Amino acid sequence: MTRYLRLYAHFVRFSLSRAMEFRFDFFFRVFMDGLWNVVNLLFFWLLFRHTTILGDWTFDQMVVFAAGFFIVDAVQMTFLSNNFWWFPHFVNRGDLDYYLVRPVSPLFFLSLREFAANSFLNLVIACGILVWSIARFPAPLPASAVLLYLALIALGCFLFYCVHMIFLIPVFWIHQGGGLRDLFWSFERYFSRPHRLFRGVVRLVLVTILPFGLMASVPAQVLFEGLTPALALHVAAVTACAFGFLAWFWRRGLRAYSSASS
Amino acid sequence: MSPRVFWSVLSVEARKRLGYRADFWVQSFVGFVAEFGLVWFLWRAMYVESGRVAMGGLDLHGMVLYQVGVVLLGKLVRGPEIEGAVSQDIYDGSLSRYLLYPARYPVFKYAQHLGSLLPATVQLVLFGVWFPIALELPEGAGPLSLLAAVPAVLAGNLLYFLMSYGLQSVAFWAENVWSLLVALRLVTTILGGAMVPLAMFPGWARDALWFTPFPYLYAFPVDTLLGQVGPLAWARGIAVTLLWCSVTAAAGRAVFRRGTLQYSGVGM
Repeated sequence: MTRYLRLYAHFVRFSLSRAMEFRFDFFFRVFMDGLWNVVNLLFFWLLFRHTTILGDWTFDQMVVFAAGFFIVDAVQMTFLSNNFWWFPHFVNRGDLDYYLVRPVSPLFFLSLREFAANSFLNLVIACGILVWSIARFPAPLPASAVLLYLALIALGCFLFYCVHMIFLIPVFWIHQGGGLRDLFWSFERYFSRPHRLFRGVVRLVLVTILPFGLMASVPAQVLFEGLTPALALHVAAVTACAFGFLAWFWRRGLRAYSSASS
Repeated sequence: MSPRVFWSVLSVEARKRLGYRADFWVQSFVGFVAEFGLVWFLWRAMYVESGRVAMGGLDLHGMVLYQVGVVLLGKLVRGPEIEGAVSQDIYDGSLSRYLLYPARYPVFKYAQHLGSLLPATVQLVLFGVWFPIALELPEGAGPLSLLAAVPAVLAGNLLYFLMSYGLQSVAFWAENVWSLLVALRLVTTILGGAMVPLAMFPGWARDALWFTPFPYLYAFPVDTLLGQVGPLAWARGIAVTLLWCSVTAAAGRAVFRRGTLQYSGVGM
């Protein structure tokens, strides 16, 4: 564990020094991430000009929910997105070889090697929006509920990672990651909507097979309504299943990998 | 560039795009269903929970039609701009090759860009034919509005390409302009009426937005397709789109020219 933490500290140091070399990109990305937050808040503001309630939530509740998915997004943009982007290229070009021969988990290496320092600033902004949204919330929110909310958001980040990787791994067989990446982005938009907007099978899918509803929406529900034992068990079971499936799928993918370069 | 060469570049790109068929079909079908589900549930909840019959002059049926139109036509307007073909040429030095070709670089890239629209066109045809069957079309929509939408989409596509071209030319100075392309998509999506119809914006914002190029990317082509634009408004819309095209083309050309003065063909 200590070895992995030390290794990750090296990843961060290399990424930081590289980010400082590409300053234009640094500021462009901060701008883009900030703009994404603004566009989403503007979207909900426009909707709430025509309704007082949406997905069982008021505008104030929706802003707290939005802050939650800003954090999940900022975490994935900071720690994961660059790595996700390169993963299909590594598989197709045979560059995966370099990761497989190293004495650390290749999944760890491939998932966390690049740290986006520019998006880290956005993570700070997203946390600021969360503090602001809770401070302006008309009813008092107990500290224990906020802590539980943050823990569930952290779990949501982990689920996001698992689901995204599961969408990328088929590149071992189909060799073209573009369509699956676009497909994930189509589904990913579900995590930025309250899960109670959806009905029937779709809602069931969003809290089980494609658990986008558990990443930010269910944590916000827990913040406003509290956590029941059944819901806690459900979230734990889905997270365990997602990680278990990822680990199994990853091993199957590696078996299918044929190393294009050697 | 002669029309024959333009067509040849376009068709090569189109064939390339359909090379990975499994990828294409998965993205086409599941992607469309995912986007349709998002639209349907969001707007259904909006109408049911607010208890309102109309928003921005549209009932639920009209809103779903508008949003499906945005999903299908939006892909044709944007194309795969996010891939950053121009900026990639600048980074990896392959721009040098194009500068030697007896063809103008932006025209060559535009031919490739049009060719890359084939998957989105197939998707439009596949799902668009179900439009009149599954969803009752509004009054005014029909073959004539479909015909009128073609130039509106083409003009919108050219405008988006030219906006993206100018931004990608910043790659002569910056190391990565992908973020700028995402920012362009975000701004055009919200201000062009793709996320929420412009009629739902406050009056002052709606009026101001029609003085910008953004509504001509999504709102205008979709409204045209749905037969909500009269002949005069249509002609004015096309003319304004082309005017914005000439403005963005001039800006893009200026940036590109300045960039080529300091271009050193890295990687060749």
